[in-house]
Amino acid sequence: MPEDKKIIGLSWEPKLPSFLFGTKSVSDDKSQNKSENSLIYKPNSELIDGLFVPPNDPKKLNKLLKKQIKDTTGKSWFDMPAPTLTPELKKDLQLIKLRNVIDPKRHYKKGDSKLNSFPKYFQVGTVVEPVSEYFTSRLTKRERKATLADELLSDQSLKVYRKRKVREIEEKSQPGGVDKWKIKGKSSWKRAKQRRH
Amino acid sequence: MRAPMRGGRGGGGFSGGRGGGFSGGRDGGGRGGGRGRGGFSGGRGGEMSRGGGRSGGRGGGRGRGAGGRGGRGGGMKGGSKVVVEPHRHEGVFIAKGKEDALCTKNMVPGEAVYNEKRVSVQNEDGTKVEYRVWNPFRSKLAAAVLGGVDNIWMKPGSKVLYLGAASGTTVSHVSDLVGPTGCVYAVEFSHRSGRDLVNMAKKRTNVIPIIEDARHPAKYRMLVGMVDVIFSDVAQPDQARILALNASYFLKSGGYFVISIKANCIDSTVPAEAVFASEVKKLQAEQFKPMEQVTLEPFERDHACVVGAYRVPKKQKPAA
Repeated sequence: MPEDKKIIGLSWEPKLPSFLFGTKSVSDDKSQNKSENSLIYKPNSELIDGLFVPPNDPKKLNKLLKKQIKDTTGKSWFDMPAPTLTPELKKDLQLIKLRNVIDPKRHYKKGDSKLNSFPKYFQVGTVVEPVSEYFTSRLTKRERKATLADELLSDQSLKVYRKRKVREIEEKSQPGGVDKWKIKGKSSWKRAKQRRH
Repeated sequence: MRAPMRGGRGGGGFSGGRGGGFSGGRDGGGRGGGRGRGGFSGGRGGEMSRGGGRSGGRGGGRGRGAGGRGGRGGGMKGGSKVVVEPHRHEGVFIAKGKEDALCTKNMVPGEAVYNEKRVSVQNEDGTKVEYRVWNPFRSKLAAAVLGGVDNIWMKPGSKVLYLGAASGTTVSHVSDLVGPTGCVYAVEFSHRSGRDLVNMAKKRTNVIPIIEDARHPAKYRMLVGMVDVIFSDVAQPDQARILALNASYFLKSGGYFVISIKANCIDSTVPAEAVFASEVKKLQAEQFKPMEQVTLEPFERDHACVVGAYRVPKKQKPAA
């Protein structure tokens, strides 16, 4: 069989280990295996017989262990984990920092004013109301939203205030003057009038 | 049954003058009955309106409109999202949303002790965690924390002797705070509120309820080991002596005490500041070393919280 293959000599032919023992010399087999290994997969740490064996060097081992431990606050805050900061989470955290502008009648303690510094350890949770407040202090299923931002946007009572504020700011940032007085282009009516006199 | 409302200060709510939220004191009618807080000599004025918290508090005597909890509808409604962050004090958390609230991690997930709100969190790895909102209008310790006390000396793993446990609302939060590795010995004299305390302790393995007079620590000395912190909320004229007695039995040297002083209970004829000063003097005479004093002002009237150390070892002079 092997002889036949050599005659054909196709490069793309899969190199399957031959089931016939003894046809090839031992040394030849070994070299082939090695080359195959290097072609297929080159792991950072050596896999021995397909199993992971931790490195012998204690320095390397410690490094590896440190990488695997999830970052938490430690036992003084009951191992609160550090979550991955997704864009939605970022937005929510920023909203909390800016919450003093959301409602004019609510006042907050001044917190961290930097918009782009986020707490490392936090969790996002849902408030569970006690049974006694079922009718007074509960959001209906429709009012519940996935994120804090959605919740604020869907709040109808603040919508009027929000819109008014946005309009005010837009007006303020617009350049002054009245549109009618402006001279728009060379061939406008006003320019024409000037030219006539 | 409706608990008699305490008059005077309308529970204006945390959301007004100070920081975030809490929409405080409204649920369950503040601290329930009578402000008796007798604890030691014959029970509380009225029964806490447990269970039917709704009938107890809202509107009613305080003349609030019937439009939901508080005027503004409250920011922390069930179902809203909040961000829970660690607080400066170990074992304490803050829930930030439209309002802020102090929280502790619930030892018994899925159960509220006194009809408080909870915050349930789903972690990234699928585990569930729960926090309980800590109302400063019902707990002097929470009021002290919000008042900005420097250190409460209670942290996960510490052992706490709690004098004047009442129905165990604050005790449950202290038990959350010290966690499964810590321990809370809760002493309460009144059988009526002691019943609630025992019921609470049934579900929390780290609370040891003791229905006994705190004036006689010898009676429960075999139940209590050495403790790191004593919290005292007994509101008795001789509360400094009670604290000193218990400290001599159970508090380790170099341990800490937290005592809440109600000026009216000690001497209602002199101004509150004078009462606080005299109490601090009494404490100093009993080997206590008061380190700081905060007023619980927005939450309680004429209350102060004094924190300090006990039998502090003397600083050794450096040998020249």
